[in-house]
Amino acid sequence: MSQADVHYFGIRHHGPGSSKRLVAELEALQPSVVLIEGPSDCSELLPLLAHHQMKPPVALLAYAAENSAVSLYYPFAEYSPEYQACVWAIQNNADVAFIDLPVSVQLAQMLQSAESQSSEEDAHESESMTDALDSESAIESESQNAQVSSFSDRTEAVSSTQHDIRHDPIGALAQLAGYEDGEGWWNDLIEQNRDDNAQIFETVNSAMAALRDHLADRDELSEQDLVREAHMRIEINKCAKAAIGNVAVVCGAWHAPALKAQHTLKSDREQLKQLPKKLTKQKIKSTWIPWTTPRLATRSGYGAGVLAPMWYQHLWSEQNNHQFLELWFANISVLLREQGHVVSTASVIEAVRLSQSLAIIRNRPAPGFEEVREAAIACLCFGEVLQWQQIESALLLGHGVGVIPDDAPMMPLLEDLQQQQKRLKLKPEALEKELSIDLRSEAGLAKSILLHRLNVLGVPWGKIADTGSSRGTFRERWVIRWQPEYSVQLVENLVYGTTIEQAANDKLSEALSVEKRLKILAETVQMSLEAHLNKAADTGLKQLSDRAAQTSDALELIESLAPLVNVQRYGTARSMSLGHIHDLVRRLAIQSSLAIPYACRNLNDEEAWHYREAIAKAHQALILAELDDSVMDEWWRALKQTLDNPQSALLVSGLIARILYRAEKISEAQLTMLLQRSFSPAVAVGDSARFFEGFFTDAIDQLLFDPVLRKAVEAWLINIEESAFIEFLPLFRRVFSALDAHERKRMIDAVMSGRSNVTTQVQLNKEMLEHWPRQLSRIGLLLQRDKTWTQ
Amino acid sequence: MSNIVRQPAEVIYQAELDALKAEDTGTKPFNWSLSPKAVVKYMMGGVTADGVEISAKYIGKRRLIETAVATLATDRALLLLGVPGTAKSWVSEHLAAAICGVSTQIIQCTAGTDENQIRYGWNYAQLLAKGPSKEALVPTPLYRAMENGTLCRLEELTRMGSDVQDTLITVLSENMLPVPELNDAIYAQRGFNVIATANNRDKGVNELSSALKRRFNVVVLPLPDDINEEVSIIVKRVAEMGSKLELPLPQNANEEIEKVVTIFRELRGGETLDGKMTLKSPTGNLSTAEAIAVMVGGLSQANWFGEGALTAEDIGSNLVGAIVKDPVQDKAVLEEYLETVLKKRKAYSEYYHIMNEVL
Repeated sequence: MSQADVHYFGIRHHGPGSSKRLVAELEALQPSVVLIEGPSDCSELLPLLAHHQMKPPVALLAYAAENSAVSLYYPFAEYSPEYQACVWAIQNNADVAFIDLPVSVQLAQMLQSAESQSSEEDAHESESMTDALDSESAIESESQNAQVSSFSDRTEAVSSTQHDIRHDPIGALAQLAGYEDGEGWWNDLIEQNRDDNAQIFETVNSAMAALRDHLADRDELSEQDLVREAHMRIEINKCAKAAIGNVAVVCGAWHAPALKAQHTLKSDREQLKQLPKKLTKQKIKSTWIPWTTPRLATRSGYGAGVLAPMWYQHLWSEQNNHQFLELWFANISVLLREQGHVVSTASVIEAVRLSQSLAIIRNRPAPGFEEVREAAIACLCFGEVLQWQQIESALLLGHGVGVIPDDAPMMPLLEDLQQQQKRLKLKPEALEKELSIDLRSEAGLAKSILLHRLNVLGVPWGKIADTGSSRGTFRERWVIRWQPEYSVQLVENLVYGTTIEQAANDKLSEALSVEKRLKILAETVQMSLEAHLNKAADTGLKQLSDRAAQTSDALELIESLAPLVNVQRYGTARSMSLGHIHDLVRRLAIQSSLAIPYACRNLNDEEAWHYREAIAKAHQALILAELDDSVMDEWWRALKQTLDNPQSALLVSGLIARILYRAEKISEAQLTMLLQRSFSPAVAVGDSARFFEGFFTDAIDQLLFDPVLRKAVEAWLINIEESAFIEFLPLFRRVFSALDAHERKRMIDAVMSGRSNVTTQVQLNKEMLEHWPRQLSRIGLLLQRDKTWTQ
Repeated sequence: MSNIVRQPAEVIYQAELDALKAEDTGTKPFNWSLSPKAVVKYMMGGVTADGVEISAKYIGKRRLIETAVATLATDRALLLLGVPGTAKSWVSEHLAAAICGVSTQIIQCTAGTDENQIRYGWNYAQLLAKGPSKEALVPTPLYRAMENGTLCRLEELTRMGSDVQDTLITVLSENMLPVPELNDAIYAQRGFNVIATANNRDKGVNELSSALKRRFNVVVLPLPDDINEEVSIIVKRVAEMGSKLELPLPQNANEEIEKVVTIFRELRGGETLDGKMTLKSPTGNLSTAEAIAVMVGGLSQANWFGEGALTAEDIGSNLVGAIVKDPVQDKAVLEEYLETVLKKRKAYSEYYHIMNEVL
């Protein structure tokens, strides 16, 4: 049938062991054509992989032009067999091509399922669709799918075991053998046997064939896989007919037996008929984008990812180094030392020895990933798993970012921005311009969202002009101004996603997941809501509830209440469902209530002032938060308890007295008593002044309306000694300065009229009246400091 | 039947050890009676080729036991670390029994342990009669283990003074015990090693010096991972202790155990069991052993003062006592837990009220 010899190499995606064997085998075979499992319509991008500026990890990205959230990624690491095969082919002048289903078809499938929301045939899709409330989040869920995309397909609901087997059949076999890491199993069972290379691929092939037979018996082979394999067979046939010399097919081990099997061209074509019509070329964009090492890891959500990218990198780059184990331990110790732990060389020696004897106990030919980890924990971390976890992500995930050549095709983020600019009629202009947005109109809202999101991405195209006062209203004022470097800044965000929404979501989520301060967290959540970034908001809320439990700092708890209540109200006003935010507010309120009475004791003035501010804000927020009575009871109880405790900071007590009085939680009589007690002569003037400051700051106008307060304050002020009065004069000025001229006049009138009403007990001595003018002139002299006056 | 309350492990599990020895074909490190793989099997349980059932001595992660055995095979000393009640001594005893057939060479370290109890003492009658000589030395378990090439167990290593701890440094790094009085030294025979246990939660213990710590491979034994595992351990132990103290076990004991374990695990783990809410943890360690103590205390109260059934009232005060170790900090933690978590759970309403009252 075919003229050329076709050789099949079933590899493990991102398996350094596979790569090594594959390169050796290609070297021996010298094929003239190398066919790789990957979208066939992206073949023209392959030569770029060998470009000298190209530094993996990079990913092949394809997306629908009209909706860049519908996208596919194909990440390549340096140790990926696909990458190595491609580089080998280009360097050896062999033809290289992808043979899998073209992205035009895959994207068409994805678009189709995104459109047909209630599609029954696709259980997984329909599940996420029913969750989605509006079309925007439908795209959102689609984009999450796109994130997980991989060499194996991802659109179908599959049982978890089967899922694992298809993604990483070698990993699944390894797990059955008690290995955590597929590469260890590959190393031990396949590499160590030192069969010749061809033999190894044969072995893997028969193992996969057995696995597939087993699943086929249970009718669990994925339909999508069969279609893809049919497509690959057709492509291989086509190439084999045209090629002269050997043809090498590099595909996931899972597919190898199916590709080898004999099928008629007709039946394969039949299989392909069910596929949707492919998108036209104009509707698809594909390019290379830089990738990061952490995103190669399974835990980042990448289905065909690996357990520990940096370990694999090490396996690959040190494959010929017999000290590779020692080197890895040295890496570990360097990281531990950076964390401030003392790790001696002797301990490292012991760790190496322990890993070796662990390998013996486990019947393994050489220490692998797990042995190394356990030895490091026992010898270098003194048994503390926590210490290991501190360095784990730096060690295993790394933070490498790939580089792509300058002449790679256009970047999707910029394109997304341009589309949105066009749609919203918002031109990038270098001159400053003011923009007033009505959030009630759809276009206005979209503009606001775009500007907010760009801000998240570090592209300050628009700056909000009036902060604070505009919150909660339906109008925003922006000052917009575009600068050329913004394009570059935007492109830097490519690692986070291909659309502005996705990138902003991911960037903010990442920032949120490391943020520890409650207040900042709550504010960032509000920011994500303003930018309509639901994923980030969810992350933030989750982080917030985690941190809320752990924080023991009462101030932090109290401070977080106000922004959080803002978020809650923001959500309610726009009828968003914000998960557990209500519970969270409740819980923080209770926690704060429990903490306040303890926290407000024995504070210095500065701390007390912080607490006062925080409690005032939190109280304001709680009143608006519409919490149920049991929570508010707790809050009131906490306030009362604080007020009753003589150790509580007086600045805080003053405020609380006012709050309670205004809420009618304490009666007029109680307040009078409290004020009299606080202002009684035995109390140090400084303490009374603190109480006064706490009570009246921002609320001095209460004196105007409330004779009870006025009387108490007046009595106190009159009795203060002159020196003390002068000492606290700045304070009084500060407090009273909140009154404007008119109010001051009213205050004076009120005080004076109070005076005039006072009936004095003293009887006027009429006989002395005639002496009065003389006395008056004497007093006059005295006031002029005329010392000559004597009695 | 002997009247000894409890025999050492190597006697109790003689049959299992013999069976393992019979089937063991693996290479054994010098002076080991079993190969490392057989030791792991002895600890984790299984069935031998002859069909002898090997009971599981340690219920938990196999990895940990493998690391421990591998450590002993490298002639490095092993330190088992963990909060009280995590089976450290139990593991140490069984390892010693399986590896060298003797689990009784043991030094219980206390604040009163001095160097003579670690290195050697003097037989003063001999010393006076013959002057300093080897015959006048009184060997310690460590001394004997070195001479015989077997394992020595050190219990609660951190309880003895730091100066005494440091005696071990030469023994561990150079495998010899100098006897300066005789200008001589005891050289450890092959197969000698040390298994130490220490508590990593207690306050007021003598921290290991880093020089000594460096000479140990450390395995931290964790509290049970799984709530069912923990409940079953407690049910079993409470029943055992109850019968020893002649306390009848009421019908509803298991339910109450489950509730207590839930409270313990949530506070200890710092989150609710459903993982939806994170919590603060109290300063105490809330180990399985403490949960057992709470239950036994509750049983005794129910038996002598109650009406036979175990109620939240019987357990509540014990529970508060177990959780609140630091009167200020822990009280706040518990209050927060009661208000934010237990208050909402119907099944726990009695506990909520009782514990609130006690607080």
